[in-house]
Amino acid sequence: MPLLYKVPYKIPVDRELVSLGFESTSHTFGVGIVRLRKGFAEVLANVNSQYKPLKGGLHPREAALHHMEKAYPLLKQALREAGLSLSDVSVVSYSMGPGLGPCLRVSASVARFIASYYGKPLVPVNHAVAHIEVGRLFSGLEDPLVIYVSGGNTMIVAARDRGYRVLGETLDIPLGNLLDTFAREVGIAPPYVVDGKHAVDICAEWSQEFIPLPYTVKGSDLSFSGLLTAALQKARGAGKEGLGAVCNSLRETAFNMLVEVAERSLLLTGKKSILLVGGVASNTVLKWKLEKLAETHGIPYYGTPPEVAGDNGLMISYTGLLMYLHGVSVEPEKALVKQRLRLDEGDYPWLRE
Amino acid sequence: MAERVAYFNRGAEAVLYRVRILGSDLIVKKRLDKPYRHEAFNKVFKEYRTRVEARILSHLRSLGLNVPAPLIVDVSKGILVLEYVEGTPLSRLVDSMSREERGRVAGEFGRQVAVMHSNRIYHGDLTLANTIYSGGEVYIIDFGLAGYSDDVEEYAIDLHLLYRNLQAMHPGIAEEFMNQFLENYRQWYSGVFEDVRKRFLEVRVRGRYVDRELRKTVMRDRYVS
Repeated sequence: MPLLYKVPYKIPVDRELVSLGFESTSHTFGVGIVRLRKGFAEVLANVNSQYKPLKGGLHPREAALHHMEKAYPLLKQALREAGLSLSDVSVVSYSMGPGLGPCLRVSASVARFIASYYGKPLVPVNHAVAHIEVGRLFSGLEDPLVIYVSGGNTMIVAARDRGYRVLGETLDIPLGNLLDTFAREVGIAPPYVVDGKHAVDICAEWSQEFIPLPYTVKGSDLSFSGLLTAALQKARGAGKEGLGAVCNSLRETAFNMLVEVAERSLLLTGKKSILLVGGVASNTVLKWKLEKLAETHGIPYYGTPPEVAGDNGLMISYTGLLMYLHGVSVEPEKALVKQRLRLDEGDYPWLRE
Repeated sequence: MAERVAYFNRGAEAVLYRVRILGSDLIVKKRLDKPYRHEAFNKVFKEYRTRVEARILSHLRSLGLNVPAPLIVDVSKGILVLEYVEGTPLSRLVDSMSREERGRVAGEFGRQVAVMHSNRIYHGDLTLANTIYSGGEVYIIDFGLAGYSDDVEEYAIDLHLLYRNLQAMHPGIAEEFMNQFLENYRQWYSGVFEDVRKRFLEVRVRGRYVDRELRKTVMRDRYVS
């Protein structure tokens, strides 16, 4: 049974299009295929493989080697699932940034090759915009306040004047990075996620106790680095129960900070719905808090499901399609990657005034 | 005692009621517990932020700045009773103001923030939504995140928050407004304006994925030269 979603924007063309997208900004290599038909986006394939380090954090070169290895088999698998061949594809897209250089270059190389060999239009996609767009597609929410939390990003975003505006963001480390680094430093990760549960969430179940930790909110901006340092200090020699208390308090503090700035931005913008996207969107505790927030204000909330919350190929192919529909494409020799690419840099013509 | 009580507005952390007592209009600001927040935070936030707001408002008032006067405070209940200021937030007006009027307002806003900073007070959530434009005057409101500090970092963060707010909510006039704001801020700030300005640039390049060259230039300024 194909997954069909109504595209929440006006679509300038009537013909059927197939979009193939490659994601490789960080730990995930992903291939997504979407077919646009009569105003609906049909998900034909979304196959992804995550590089999981055996010890320590993510090494960009090791991750890139993983991506190179997976590129061909995943592409083949995606095409098989979609029942298509490369010649059926109308547009090829890739994640151009932000992300890790060596990783980014994998999807860019694959996409450049396919685009030039098969003579297909090539579209570079902003990874952050892709997270938001796929969330909007799945949720069907009209003009939501977007909370984007992942290993590399923590921002509160709203659409305005054909662009995405950042209302608040982290001034140092992102939320996912805070949780991962803490887990790694205290020796409860890797693996960072087991059965969909983060190491910090598992550890938080060891205790109900709450200990005060630094809470740093600056208007709508956040700072997590002081929290990380303090939590690591408290964790030193704390024992299992004590570590549980630190995990519980760390998570509680970090999430409360995020929800507080989200609420402030909600009232500032007057948006009438909340959308949670990015890898940390799978976290059930954060989801619960945002549900409560939405309930307080009597507005709908939508958290993207795990298969599209983390990095994935589908979001790139869908966003590439939107960009192509609005006249964006580049020559393969100009298809570059950009490690530092901000969400608020671009102009996205499908966003209404 | 109250002759009339009406729901007035809802902020991110408080509900406001407009109350009429003994012939004068007042605002009752009640900070709320949040269902999503750990109870430890609820108590601390409610009490701490109510206390800080009351203290800073009365200080600013004594400096002659345009803020609503705090009249009654009940810290344990998170209640603050304020003078009612009739008017509209600048956030709803700036985009449609004449250029001249907007320039004047931005300048006046800049002057007040400069005087505030000159007295070691930072706002902590400086946005156009946290203002009231009343009879040609700019009132600054909502000091729940405010505090005292000698560190230019806090002043720079105020400027950063305002600029961020302008760019996000009023992209068409952001530069113009900020320039006029800073123009007056520079004249009225009693410390070394250049220190605040430099730190302001620095805070801006701290965001994620800011262009590396830009960040290098700004940081070099601090550490090398």
